[in-house]
Amino acid sequence: MTFPKPERITLYILLAFFIFTSVLPLWTCIMTSIKTAQDVIYTMPLEPPSSPTLDPMMQAFDIMKRPLLNSFAFTIFATILSCTLGSTNGYILAKIRFRGSEVVFLLLAIGIFIPYQTVLIPLVMTISKLGLYNTIQGLILTHTAYGIPICTLLFRSYYEDIPESLMRAAKTDGAGTWTTFRRIVLPLSSPMFAVAGVFQFTSIWNDFLFGLVLARGTDALPASVALANLKGTTTAFWNVQMAGAWWYALPVVIIYLILGKYLIQGYMAGAIKG
Amino acid sequence: MTIKNLTKRYETGVGVEGLNLEIRDGEFFILLGPSGCGKSTTLLCVAGLLRPNSGEIWLGDKLVTSVERDIYVTPQKRGVAMVFQDYALYPHMTAFGNIAFPLQVSGKSKPEVETRVRKAAESLGISQLLDRKPKQLSGGQRQRVALGRAIVREPEVFLMDEPLANLDAKLRVHMRAELKNLHQKLGTTTLYVTHDQVEAMSVGDRIAIQKDGILQQVGTPEDVYDRPRNMFVGGFIGSPAMNMLEGNLVKKDGNVEVDLGISAFELPNRTKEAVKEAKRSEVVLGVRPEHTTITKHQKNAIEANVSFVELIGRELHVHLTAREEPLVAIAEPTERLEVGQQVWLAFDKSKIHIFDKETEEALI
Repeated sequence: MTFPKPERITLYILLAFFIFTSVLPLWTCIMTSIKTAQDVIYTMPLEPPSSPTLDPMMQAFDIMKRPLLNSFAFTIFATILSCTLGSTNGYILAKIRFRGSEVVFLLLAIGIFIPYQTVLIPLVMTISKLGLYNTIQGLILTHTAYGIPICTLLFRSYYEDIPESLMRAAKTDGAGTWTTFRRIVLPLSSPMFAVAGVFQFTSIWNDFLFGLVLARGTDALPASVALANLKGTTTAFWNVQMAGAWWYALPVVIIYLILGKYLIQGYMAGAIKG
Repeated sequence: MTIKNLTKRYETGVGVEGLNLEIRDGEFFILLGPSGCGKSTTLLCVAGLLRPNSGEIWLGDKLVTSVERDIYVTPQKRGVAMVFQDYALYPHMTAFGNIAFPLQVSGKSKPEVETRVRKAAESLGISQLLDRKPKQLSGGQRQRVALGRAIVREPEVFLMDEPLANLDAKLRVHMRAELKNLHQKLGTTTLYVTHDQVEAMSVGDRIAIQKDGILQQVGTPEDVYDRPRNMFVGGFIGSPAMNMLEGNLVKKDGNVEVDLGISAFELPNRTKEAVKEAKRSEVVLGVRPEHTTITKHQKNAIEANVSFVELIGRELHVHLTAREEPLVAIAEPTERLEVGQQVWLAFDKSKIHIFDKETEEALI
């Protein structure tokens, strides 16, 4: 057996250190979420519990289940809507150029850089006027609108790489703008739908600010806001909070596990042609 | 198909300028020229994929494009089928799906689509490949699927944009023959774009040669080969290319000679009359390699030195230098020649071309 080179050993030590530091909070979180209230006080955060329990998990789920459902509802709808609209926009802007399409694209792209905070007051006023305050629909509308620019940008650059001859072939074959989109462009877009979908799902699921200002009570309260509310006003139930964090993180983890391989493909699609 | 006064300008320059073409029914018509000569632009205008700046295009008695009369029929409604250089197959569909696509789009019934696709596939010998996706097919097979997608519609006109350019040399020759066969079987008017003059000569009924957006000559392969209208056509058609030598017309005792600097070349009688009218005396003498022979006689021949020799199987291409200009002669493969050897070249008098040096137009 050959002994590894010193550079290799240094590399492994460094990597081990980085893994350790990034896993540490997760470890603390897991350990705390299966501790009883006493254990939280009597054991160190990194220590395993003396008497492990699933009670905090159950307790957190009880409080979080409605907000989790709310979050699922608006996240899924808003993701689907913003991706669909983004791909349609992207197709039109990339393949069906029209007078002023560059300007339209520029204006859309600006949308990406508008900070959430600047639109909060007009947003709440508009949503209230529409009668959508504290509703799932209000959150769907807001997140969809906010997702359109980035989705358009992603799909447009993806569609730029579809060869022009394919579009020309479809045209001479007799397909109109929408038939071409439905039969040729959409079926070729699945990698980009995975990328944009994961991106939108995560950012909508993780959003706190819109949820905070557009919902109250339980009807439409998102999980992100409910999680923050877990901390209580007088006492901090660390174990329940950590358990809540796990419930909150789970869907995103599952999405990544399912769509991870498409995500890599999609990111690479722009880099290497052919 | 008639193209009248077609002009398409790009921001970067001219695509096509004032093109007039009349393509007969059932003709295999070639647009030939170097890249950037406007041949693809012409094709895209006919397909309706580009709007010209001026001019008219008629498909049969149907006016499909007229800038002046503001008529523009969309490509979907022109009834033309196009074959692209990169085949442009839909990557997510099987070969069957690709061929069926134009029929499905036009709303044909399922059984009809099925029968017509099978029939088209059979005529191209790709019946066993119908379940495969484009990326599981070789270049030649993809080409056939692309052809299948074009013929299944039974269009009035085929448009082909360098369909063989991406195939390897051997397959290209094979597909060339197949295309010709297919055309003879279907008899569909075909407009075919290529930069390969050999391809053009071998499959075309007639050839239009374009350069920098301007039509140079239209004619049968024999026409453009034997009677090039100008220096460009003379040099572009034929491989190895036509030998060109600059010289001066000299009239002497009722004879006309071309003074080539190192020797004079006496013109045959048939050409004397034509040349006599020429205003300028500076000309270019063009003669094809196969009409250039290595000889021992010094009369009416020019001196040259052998630079190198290529044996192309049944013939020998002898590259020579005369007056520091490169020339090619074709000789028998048995001929023994040394590099640097001094030889005499004779030209077949009945096959020479004289071009005006200034206008580059053919005088004879």
